[in-house]
Amino acid sequence: MKTEHYNHIFGINTDRRNLLKGAAGVAALSATSGLGGFSGSALADSKSLRADILKIPGVGKGSPTDADWQKVGEMCLEATKANVKPGEFKGVELSFMGLNNQNLHNMLFRGFLKPWEAYTGAKINWIDLAQADYNARLQQSIATKTVDFDILEMGAPFEGDVCGKGLASVMPDWVKKQIDIDDYSDYLKPPVGTWDGKTYRVTIDGDCHNFNYRTDYFSDADLAKAWKAEGHQGEWGVPKTWQKVNEVTKFLKGKKIKGQDAIGYLDPAKGWGGFGFYFLEDRATAYVKHPDNKAWLFDPENMKPLVNNPGWVRAIQDVIDCLPSEPADQLNADPGTTAFQQFLAGTGSMLSWWGDVGSMANTSDTSVIGNDVAFDILPGSDDVYNYKTNKWEKLASGPNVSPNCAYLGWGVYVMARVDADPVKQKAAWSAAAHLGGKDLSLWMVMYPSGMQVHRNSHSDIAEWVGAGYQKDYITSYLKSQFGSYNHPNRAIEPRIPGIFQYYSVAEDELAKVYAGKMTAQQGADSIAAAWEKLTDQIGREGQLKLYRASIGM
Amino acid sequence: MTQSAATFQTFPSRPPMVPESQRLAGRLLVLVASIVLIGVFVAQALAAADIFALDLGTWRLSLYAYLAWAVALGVAQVLMRGEAGYKALFLLPALLFTIALVIFPTIFGLYIAFSEWNLSSFEGQKFNGLDNLRTLIHDPYFWNALLNMTFYVVSVFFQYALAFGLALLLNADIRARKFFRVAFLLPFMLSPVAVSWMIGKSLMEFRFGPLAALMRHLGWDNPAFFATPWIARFSIIALDAWVWIPFMIIMLLAGLQAIPKDIQEAAKVDGASTWSTFWQITFPLMLPVSVTTIILRIIFQLKLADIVINTTSGGPGGATDTISSFIFREYRDRSNVGYGTMVAEVYLVLIIVFMTVLLNAVGRFMRREAAL
Repeated sequence: MKTEHYNHIFGINTDRRNLLKGAAGVAALSATSGLGGFSGSALADSKSLRADILKIPGVGKGSPTDADWQKVGEMCLEATKANVKPGEFKGVELSFMGLNNQNLHNMLFRGFLKPWEAYTGAKINWIDLAQADYNARLQQSIATKTVDFDILEMGAPFEGDVCGKGLASVMPDWVKKQIDIDDYSDYLKPPVGTWDGKTYRVTIDGDCHNFNYRTDYFSDADLAKAWKAEGHQGEWGVPKTWQKVNEVTKFLKGKKIKGQDAIGYLDPAKGWGGFGFYFLEDRATAYVKHPDNKAWLFDPENMKPLVNNPGWVRAIQDVIDCLPSEPADQLNADPGTTAFQQFLAGTGSMLSWWGDVGSMANTSDTSVIGNDVAFDILPGSDDVYNYKTNKWEKLASGPNVSPNCAYLGWGVYVMARVDADPVKQKAAWSAAAHLGGKDLSLWMVMYPSGMQVHRNSHSDIAEWVGAGYQKDYITSYLKSQFGSYNHPNRAIEPRIPGIFQYYSVAEDELAKVYAGKMTAQQGADSIAAAWEKLTDQIGREGQLKLYRASIGM
Repeated sequence: MTQSAATFQTFPSRPPMVPESQRLAGRLLVLVASIVLIGVFVAQALAAADIFALDLGTWRLSLYAYLAWAVALGVAQVLMRGEAGYKALFLLPALLFTIALVIFPTIFGLYIAFSEWNLSSFEGQKFNGLDNLRTLIHDPYFWNALLNMTFYVVSVFFQYALAFGLALLLNADIRARKFFRVAFLLPFMLSPVAVSWMIGKSLMEFRFGPLAALMRHLGWDNPAFFATPWIARFSIIALDAWVWIPFMIIMLLAGLQAIPKDIQEAAKVDGASTWSTFWQITFPLMLPVSVTTIILRIIFQLKLADIVINTTSGGPGGATDTISSFIFREYRDRSNVGYGTMVAEVYLVLIIVFMTVLLNAVGRFMRREAAL
């Protein structure tokens, strides 16, 4: 048996201990029940099911419809049937609050859960929210104690607000088994999805920012010649550090490629309801996330912001320096613009974004860059700022790399208000487990759904190729995703209450910096002052405790 | 007996007398309903403040108590005042609705405005006196937005001039007049959100927008409509004008059509030029309509938010920010309810003061014009 096949089938990391445990388990199972043959058949069935659902409708055969979602939901119902009798939840009504972004999220969930409703007898009432309304609606429900939903689609950054305040239901063990929780990528394992040691989340998405670049730019002979002619160090190629990204961006100003203006990196200089701050983080993590320190946003001793230390200021200065070499309207470009109106539409050669860009570049009608795109983890930095020693350090291992695991993906949470009714509680968890099922998740990350890879089992390139993806493309894409998730120096988002308030207030200050109204240091100091005020407003002691817990201290 | 008393007795102006028992029943009904309303409200307030443990769910119970009180009040009006009570019933729903949805929220808003209430806060809402007001006074974002508002308000006068010109055209005997009247109205029928997407984010889009392409053709190399402060401000004004000029046209056109034709014809017979007719006759006669139009438009303008939020988010560097878009950010993105409410309440006071001063000045001006 090939190692990768073994790993895929058992979904575990290959170490001697796990191997022996697995072997012992299989031996015991065969000896006691003689089900070894059946087990093999079940695995084969699972393989076949995964291949079958991926043909609905088939990659490159147009966007899936509601009928497809229902069909996939029906085919993936076996796991539910193992734990729930037909009609067991008859008369139970659940309300589900989630998003309706780009007609995805809840729209898909409705289809997936329709066969589940028919089988179990439960009924789901839907609360659909636009992304922009989500935060306010959730915060108001929490603050005014008017939680009017039983199941919630939520990002891990809000776990401090919800799980930290005892509003969520603790995941029963049978759900962990049904969804095969051990299959999650390491970075989505505890502490993510947990609070005070209890598990709350069915993960349906994995998030990180990766580096998207245009292959045609970095294989262009004329640009390579010009690069040499201008005396730049090293060969013309894909930048591996932010220092090089900046150099390439400035170098490309005024150059042409395929008759068009050549553009380097794309910085989103306009706020995006707090989400825009992630893109400054992309540049900053390489400068400020030291491998020896877990903290990079706040000092874990006193919650003092680190955002105005020299590492962060350098990241802000980078943006200021690069903006003149970027498109003329960059000051009014938010991340939505940089990804969908610029990069996918053919403007710019480098972009950091969530995996959506990779999953759309080759499949969306709005993309014109087709196969001229490849992926990597975020660039590193030649040196890293150590906030404990207040010094820039050059690591013996080479450039410091710290992929930004921004947002930590969407999950499905069950609210504590169902706990009083055991039938309702089981129904809610069963619905959540169905949505977060292992096979269903593969379909979701492969087709437009707003979700990205988040399980080790999603890394099987053969399954992607079997569904219609090109091998080189998907290899590059998955490598960038899993390379970020599994990086030892990844920057994990702190799951503290009001985290988006910190980001939002920073966006306002950064807008002034980018517009030339203040220097990088002044802007960083203003952000730090605003964050201090915010921490006091929310409660310093509580924030400090949760921050330390969220970064595993 | 005096003459007036005799007249009073001959022609009684009072409605028929309501029996005392009926009047008493009405009073009792109001009293009971009021006690129930106050009782429910106080119980909910105490429960919400965790002073005693009683799970009354949401504030819906208080709403039901208010509705019941409103019905009881209506019935009591009839019981106590007879025919006059029936008349009061026509006014009462609107009055109670206004109290519930305008007056109560404004007063309740004041209560929130003097508290520190971040929705993520561990301690919840707490009274903080004048802190929010002090923060506001030292908040550069507020003053920047207020400064921008003066620019937006001044722009109303230019929009008015344009609207007046278009209204004159639509009032003239031109071909396809009805078509143009409908066509000019169309932008007003669209949501400002839709306009900001269709025009701000599509027509004016830097790379593919037709307007950007036209500008390039005309020699503007980098037609970025929202990347530099003044161009961004004027672009926002252009979008805003696109939506609201039709409203001004409707008002002015109605005014123009109400001007008696004979006055203008008499001027023509007397040999007045077109300009003189406009300046000496049409414009003065249109002053009351113009003033109403401008004042209404200023009130709308002071609430400008949607176009700004959609196209620039207040940027670049706060150049297009408005008070409403700033409040929106404080509320939606930062869940800073206490401070956001304080900004809204202060802005309300500023608007009331500004409009009162403006209306007084306009009234004085109009009276002086009339005297001339």
